[in-house]
Formats: sequence, structure tokens, C-alpha cells
Amino acid sequence: MTVFSFVFKRFFKGVANIAFISIIPLAAIFLPLGEWHPLPGGFQYYGIIQLFLAARLSGIILEDRSNKTLLRIGAAPISHFQYLFQNTLAYSLIMLMINLLFVLGGVLVHGEVLINPGILLVLYTFFGMLAISFSLAWFSLFDNKEAAFSVLTGLAMLMAMLGGMMWPIQAMPLLLQRTALLLPTYWLAEAILRLAGGATISQLIMPIAMMLLFSIGFIFLGSRKRLF
Amino acid sequence: MTIVHMKDIVKRYGNQLVLDYVDLDMVEGEILGLLGPNGAGKTTLIHALIGLIKIDAGDIQVFGTSHKGNSLDIKRQLGLVTQDISIYEDLTARENLEFFGGIYGLKGQVLKERVAETLSFVGLSEYANKLPAKFSGGMLRRLNIACALVHRPKLLIMDEPTVGIDPQSRNHILETVRELNRQGTTILYTTHYMEEVQSIASRVVIMDQGHVIAEGTIRELVERIQHEEKISLEVAEVSGELISRLKKLNGIKQVIQKGNELQIISQVGAGNLDRVLAIAREAGGVRSINAEKPTLEDVFLTLTGKRLRDGEAE
Ligand SMILES: Nc1ncnc2c1ncn2[C@@H]1O[C@H](COP(=O)(O)OP(=O)(O)OP(=O)(O)O)[C@@H](O)[C@H]1O
Ligand SMILES: [Mg+2]
Repeated sequence: MTVFSFVFKRFFKGVANIAFISIIPLAAIFLPLGEWHPLPGGFQYYGIIQLFLAARLSGIILEDRSNKTLLRIGAAPISHFQYLFQNTLAYSLIMLMINLLFVLGGVLVHGEVLINPGILLVLYTFFGMLAISFSLAWFSLFDNKEAAFSVLTGLAMLMAMLGGMMWPIQAMPLLLQRTALLLPTYWLAEAILRLAGGATISQLIMPIAMMLLFSIGFIFLGSRKRLF
Repeated sequence: MTIVHMKDIVKRYGNQLVLDYVDLDMVEGEILGLLGPNGAGKTTLIHALIGLIKIDAGDIQVFGTSHKGNSLDIKRQLGLVTQDISIYEDLTARENLEFFGGIYGLKGQVLKERVAETLSFVGLSEYANKLPAKFSGGMLRRLNIACALVHRPKLLIMDEPTVGIDPQSRNHILETVRELNRQGTTILYTTHYMEEVQSIASRVVIMDQGHVIAEGTIRELVERIQHEEKISLEVAEVSGELISRLKKLNGIKQVIQKGNELQIISQVGAGNLDRVLAIAREAGGVRSINAEKPTLEDVFLTLTGKRLRDGEAE
């Protein structure tokens, strides 16, 4: 599990990474309730943070490609699948840990206002997986790290806006509302709204299934390109 | 024992034929020099050997098995020193070795010991805990080599391991290669530099434009062009008469003037050395004379009609 353990070593050596994971989620916890959303602001927007965090995490694979160490890894007795699997597992664990701290922080700060934090954590976990597989798929399209990264940042914002994370989806023209269904972000936003509206588990199955489907699709896309 | 057998390897990139029915065999214990100019297809051939790229045709056997189904077993016993330096800049020298040793399955105390041994072997022990950003070009190259040695490969493939470094570091690396070979490692050594191959390789394969154009021991290759010798002559004064008298000698092919120096290409066995010396004495005195044996460089020149590389620099 060398690849797995070195993900942690490399990720937590990055000063920018440490700054990102300690400042941004912490600041988000303290955002107050907004006008239209039943949850405190940070919990409404957390999907965006997850997209950015996933991009930082998967940047590790992109770096392997740009510093050519992937060539060495390709020459080593480790399969393509093992390499991807160990990377993804490590990213997921880091993501999960931060999700957990974020929700715990939310409970401490907002108390009862944060409806059903346990299930909220489950939703964030599914979306975290989705965000990671999305980044991997995205990065498999690019050879240049900087370009891939900056375009992804813009794309994440756009998906968040059109997916109903920033404002109610009903505020948009009908055509955009329809296309929003094709965005993975929509399904997180939708699930959170349903949850906050007192939905039962069975009412959450559809959005969770959609997130899972998106994840599988992206994982497929991301691993199709042979990295070595 | 044959440990690498590559037969009729064909590789295309688009319309470009990069490997054109190439054969390569290696026996256990040798240092094989793979020589060729830029774009000859050396790296592509190496990557095919390792199983990093798909070939369009041909047969590859490494350690007696093919890549189909046994790729990981083959890779376990291979080491690759990449042409471009490929290490983690944000990890220390030791951590880099721990990573690359780790992906070959080493762990715990064994890994630790191997890493320490390897660092000392390439002379980087003092820098074990330093980041590569602070390293000189030669140190980076040595780290790049070390990353391929931690797991003690049976066959070490070195793709231009000395590009762009100072002569001292280069000698250090060549000595390292010799020592590895003495310890029993078979080595495929790719380079542009004739002198390197001449000093370490037991056998040479010369490639150009996707073809193997010559193969053999250095002596065998040199003997193929033994019909020429180069006489370098430094005289007190060069006159037109001297040059024309030299040119008239039987078996003299070419006389090139560089200041007070004359380079004379002559047929071997024509006995021209004595005659050249006599003529030069008459013309006003000889400062020095030197008859050179042909080198690999000359072999390459004769085979392809072009120089392998201009000067030393990249
Ligand atoms: N992935 C690739 N896609 C397209 N063309 C390639 C690719 N890799 C190599 N080539 C082409 O194949 C030819 C041989 O390249 P290769 O790298 O094998 O040469 P080389 O002998 O290693 O040269 P050098 O001494 O410069 O390293 C070159 O013309 C190169 O442009
Ligand atoms: Mg090359």
C-alpha cells in the first residue's frame, strides 16, 4: 500500500493544502442561515468546497503524470488498477475525515438548526466520492496541470450555480431547470433540501442513486485512459 | 543465458515508423550499449521491452516469458532509469527511495536497509533528508539512478543516465554502473556518447531511424571499418606543395588542413605512415604525428554518413 500511504505524506506536505483544509471548511461552518435555504450557509455550499478539495486531492495523480514518475510506476510491478484504487481510497479517506469534522463542527456551532446531521454526513460522503471521480475523469483529459486545474475551478462554480446550490432552482428559466438534472451538483442540492424538509430515507434514495451513478460513470471515464 | 529476446519489433506512431523490424537480444551478465542519435527509437525500444507500450508486431521475451499475463513478474526483476529525471520534488531523497522501493513490494526493515545502502552506493547519504530542489544536476541524476536500484533488479535499463552533467559526476556514474555489473546486474545502457559505450559496454547495438544498423563487440565493429586509418600530423609550416604531395600518395583518401595540423585519411596497410613522415620532414619539420585507430564514432560515421552528436553538450 505504498501508493496509498504516500498520498497522505504528499498531500499533507503541501502548505496550500493544509491552509485550504483548515481555513475554508472552518470558515464555512460559521456562515449564518441564508434567506431561502433551511440550512446554515456553509452546509448549503459545502458541495463546492468538496469539489475544490477533490481537485486538490486528485491533483496528486496529475502531478505523477507531469513529473514523469508515472513512467517509473508503470515500469514497476503494480497494476494500473492498484495504482488508481490506492490513490482513490486515500483521497476518499481524507475527504471523509474532513466531512466528518465539518459536520461535527456544524453540530457544535448550530445545534438543532442543523437538521439530521448523521444523514447529512452520508449525503456529503456520496458527493465526496462523486467529486473525486469527477476530478479524476476531468484530469484524465489534460496533460497540463495548471490548465486542468484552473478550468476545473470555473467548471465547479458553474455546476454549483446551475445545480441549485447558490439559489433555488425554481429561480432559473425552465430550460435551465431541466438541464440541471444532468448536473451531479443538482442531486446533492436536491437531497439536502429534501432532508431539511423532513424527508424519509426512501425519499433520499433517488438522489443518492443518481450521485452513485454519476460516480461510476466518472470513474469509468477517468480510468479509461491508460496512464501507463 | 539469454534474458531478453526481442524479435521483429514494429512500432508506429501515426504514419511514422519508429521501430522497423528491430531485433535485440541480451545475455545475462553483460553490459549492452544501445547507441543512436536523437529519434533513433532507443527509448521506444526500451519501453517496449518493459511492456510500457503496445507494439504493432513482434515478439518479446524477458526472463523467458512474455508480457502477456506475466507482466508484473517481469517488472519485478527490472529497473528503469528514466531518460528524464522523474522523482518527487516535494519528497526527500530518502522518501523518494522509500516510495520506489515500496512499489516493488519492499517494506519495513528490509526497505529501510536497502534505502540506506542505495543512498550510500550513489554517494547521497549525506543528503538523505534533503529535498531534490537543492540538488545539483549530477546529484539529481544519481538520485534518478538510485530510485531504480532499491529493489536490486536483475536487469537494469538505463536510458541516457548521464545527459547534461559534468565529467566528474559522469565518471562517478560510470563507475557505479561497472560496480553494479561486477555484482551481477545485467545492464542495458542507452546513450549518445561513444566514449561511454567504449569504456563500459561489452557489446554494442547501434540504431538509426528505427533500424539496428550494426551490432557486435566494439572490436568487431571497429574491424568492419579497419580499412581506414587517420593520421594526424602537426608540422612547422603547411604549404600548398606539401598538401599536394601528400595527396598524390597511393591510398590517401583525404587531407584536411586545420592551421598547422593536417588530418590524413589513408587506407590501412598502404604503408603511408612512413611516407607521410618523410615528406613532412622534407617540407620543414614535424612537431608531432599520430596514427589513430578508428573509434565507434568512426564506425557510426561510416555506417550512416553522419556524426552521432556534435560536441559534448546536450
Ligand atoms: N508517444 C509518442 N507519440 C508520437 N511519436 C513518438 C512518441 N514517442 C516517440 N515518438 C517518436 O518516435 C521517434 C523515436 O523516439 P525515441 O524517443 O524512441 O527516440 P530516442 O532514440 O530515444 O531519441 P533520444 O535520443 O532523443 O531520446 C521520434 O521521432 C519521436 O518523435
Ligand atoms: Mg530516448
